[in-house]
Amino acid sequence: MSSSAGSDRELDEQLVELLRGCAQSQAPALQRLYSLTSPTLFACLIRMLRRRSLAEEALQDVFVTIWQRAWQYQPERGRPMAWLVAIARYRAIDLLRHERSAAFPVADLPAVQEPADEAADDRTVTLAGTALLERCLALLTGEQRRCLELAFVGGNSHADVARLVGSPLGTVKSWIRRALQSLKACLES
Amino acid sequence: MNAAPTNPELLNRLAAEYVLGTLRGPARRRLERWRNSSSLLDERCRFWEDRLLPLLLPALRPVRPPPHVWQDIRARLELPAPARRGRALLYALAASVLIVLGVGAMLYWRSLTPAPTEAATIAAPSGTVVWRVEIYAAPGTVAHLSVRAGTLAAAPAGHDYELWALPKGGTPVSLGLLPHGPNAARRTLTVSQQQALAKASQVAVSVEPSGGSPTGQPTGPVVFVAPLRSVS
Repeated sequence: MSSSAGSDRELDEQLVELLRGCAQSQAPALQRLYSLTSPTLFACLIRMLRRRSLAEEALQDVFVTIWQRAWQYQPERGRPMAWLVAIARYRAIDLLRHERSAAFPVADLPAVQEPADEAADDRTVTLAGTALLERCLALLTGEQRRCLELAFVGGNSHADVARLVGSPLGTVKSWIRRALQSLKACLES
Repeated sequence: MNAAPTNPELLNRLAAEYVLGTLRGPARRRLERWRNSSSLLDERCRFWEDRLLPLLLPALRPVRPPPHVWQDIRARLELPAPARRGRALLYALAASVLIVLGVGAMLYWRSLTPAPTEAATIAAPSGTVVWRVEIYAAPGTVAHLSVRAGTLAAAPAGHDYELWALPKGGTPVSLGLLPHGPNAARRTLTVSQQQALAKASQVAVSVEPSGGSPTGQPTGPVVFVAPLRSVS
């Protein structure tokens, strides 16, 4: 992935600039930000919320929030894509609180096969930091890694993860806790 | 409301579970409140948001949302429609004609910063300026508001200051959250905000839960009321 490092940085710089534009109420900055990042954020919301109509509503909320809170974004404190994805994921988790019944956990396989979208801007997928995270994930057990992915990517609660992997809730909680401890030690070393 | 914990181990564990999404319910709400007041906790959340990002992105296949989503966002934010290409060309032509005609004065005029039409200075009883609010609503321009924070602008932990227009004979209309610290904020005014300001001779500031009033009306104590004056 060495070739992606340069374009990652470029994209980050572009996103920082666009967020600055949003903070100054420049509508074209929001429009450009939307065209660059909405395919990734929409995919993330579909994955977590399962229902396209709900994901569309959430995506609206996300960009309204981005516009209103852009002035709070500080580039020195984190990558812009991480800030944007966090807004999307937290919105989805809030909606899940109301929408998803406990009997409807989300497996990691997509229920809806999304067609490959050629129009979507591939540059929205940035991979900086992947190598380090991969190295650290390799230190986890298979169960630990699967639990992390089910929670982080699928938006599943502890109880849903436990049901999906077929293990007791307490065991899953401690797998996740230990996985996070081990990741922290590795990521900070 | 409880204060945020200070034990770094505990903060890290809570932040990690929050970012992962497994912290739910009231515990999640509480952490969100703490995050606004604890820079330590905020730093931990950002750490996990940044470091876990590569776990998510490769698992996603970008999907372009349907066009109505962007149109709805634009409508909700009352953003101006983009200039059409044909119209842009027309403007370009008109502009070049003007340049040819030697209307240099116009360019000079355009380079001047537009002056605000109304302004309010929100000051503490001691006279210290806390915020300076300026409204730019000259005909033919995109109406907007600019706020500069002076001193004393830090909101109580877990709260934000919210600015309100007080239209005569109407209910307060939110003008958004006020910036913290040395930040300046500039935001476009919606039609309803402009209408409220046109009928208002005062603005007010209330203390609201972090993120702003949940009801659309002031819910916390009103801490400042300041006159809104025309700037001629």
